Amino acid sequence: MSGLLRKYWRIWLRTASMAMQAQLTYRLGSFGFLLGKMIRLLFFFAFMAAVFNHVETVAGYNLVETALFFMTFNLVDMTAQILFRGVYGARRTVTEGDFDFYLVQPCSPLFRMTCSSVDFLDIITIIPVIIMTGVVFARLPPLGWQNYAAYALLMLNGVGLIYAIHILVAALAVRTQELESAIWIYRDVMFMGKFPVDVYAPAVRWALTVGVPIAVMTTFPAKALLGILSPAWIVYALALTAVALPLSWLFWKDSVARYTSSSS
Amino acid sequence: MKTYWVAYQIALQETLQRRSTLIMDRLGGFAIVVSLYSFWTALIGDKATFLGYTRGEMLTYVLALNVLRSFVFTGRGWQLVGEISSGKISSYLIRPLHYYGYALALDMAQKTVHVAAAVLEVGVLAALVGGELFLPRDPATWLLFGAAVALSSLIFFFLEFMISSLAFWTSESGGPLFCFELFLQFAAGAFFPLDVLPAGLRRLLEMTPFPYMVYFPVRVFLEKVPAAEALRLIGMEALWLAAVFTAAMTVWRRGVRSYAAEGG
Repeated sequence: MSGLLRKYWRIWLRTASMAMQAQLTYRLGSFGFLLGKMIRLLFFFAFMAAVFNHVETVAGYNLVETALFFMTFNLVDMTAQILFRGVYGARRTVTEGDFDFYLVQPCSPLFRMTCSSVDFLDIITIIPVIIMTGVVFARLPPLGWQNYAAYALLMLNGVGLIYAIHILVAALAVRTQELESAIWIYRDVMFMGKFPVDVYAPAVRWALTVGVPIAVMTTFPAKALLGILSPAWIVYALALTAVALPLSWLFWKDSVARYTSSSS
Repeated sequence: MKTYWVAYQIALQETLQRRSTLIMDRLGGFAIVVSLYSFWTALIGDKATFLGYTRGEMLTYVLALNVLRSFVFTGRGWQLVGEISSGKISSYLIRPLHYYGYALALDMAQKTVHVAAAVLEVGVLAALVGGELFLPRDPATWLLFGAAVALSSLIFFFLEFMISSLAFWTSESGGPLFCFELFLQFAAGAFFPLDVLPAGLRRLLEMTPFPYMVYFPVRVFLEKVPAAEALRLIGMEALWLAAVFTAAMTVWRRGVRSYAAEGG
């Protein structure tokens, strides 16, 4: 088992190193993308702060709590982007025939498809996010270690759930050689996780908790930290990921089994 | 002129042919609109107005964003970057047409489909939330709004065209373009009315063409700008368009002169 883990760690390091070298080659382009990501982050944060110059609370949450939801969203979302970036090029990998090579390599094609492309710009962008999250933590009232443990657990759970969605998108690319927009729909819907789920109407809130569980990925960890998430919801979140991951993996296996090579 | 009309018709058919991509694009955009609407509704709460906007005006602002995003923020920038980098632009340069006219025809086709879809979505959302949508009482407002939106769309087109033309000199112009588009969306008021920003920052932004793209047209639509002031601002918009058009054409001509048909 440890040998297998070591092997995949080495593969990840090698592919990540290649991705970093490619990004360093394109300095102006990379700088532009990095600056854009920073602008998006700072503008949203400035917007939140500006809004609270006019109101005391939003959906019952004060500035620090709202900032906690926003930073948690960014942490979960960016971690997933760093780790599962490969899915963004899944359709191209399939249509250009690279997926055929993945299948004959002594490595899981799912791992190659989802995890072997690392965006180092996101690694740089996540640093200020971590610092800003630390500032938010410092402004929260004293909380027990159980709150922090539940926060960390649900963050990991959220990343797991996002991985299940990425597997689904990769499987759709293999199965249909189309649906390149699927990952961008996910990105747009994830936008809803920037705000606590309580701002939405009950029907939308229900859809975001049960249908497309953005709330489980982004709102639940922050609520657990604040001590306002019941144990039943924590169990639900963990159970959802425990079911979603194997199901998406089965869908992936089935899609690969039907694959007949789409390249020329 | 007939050439561009034919290009428009072909592009229209192509856009309508890729229905799954179109539907997915629209779904993603719809999620953002629902998200922003919910956030602003939570902000208004029980208050009669927020930042000078009534509930109905705020709902209209958010729904108008959906239409304006579809009309103003659809350009051909990324395609231009790809065509210059791959050398495909060569085949357009030797044809008896102006590339920017051709690109504008293609852009108009995209806008036609997306605006129609956006108006439909706005109707659905307005019916779902049962809110009191603000519609201008003065017929002249519709004319002023139409003029402001048409100018803002052209300003965006030529601004994006200018930045994408950097691809004539570097293969890394995607980075600056990405950065520009993100900055623009915030500075134009495409996420939130600029009224929320501190007065100093707002005045700074008003010295740029960005607020003329979304914030100003929506305020005209909401009849928050007196007719005389609206005419003055439309005049300013026209001046910005002339400046941006001149700059874009200068960059384009110099770019074409230095073009080496890489990869062609």
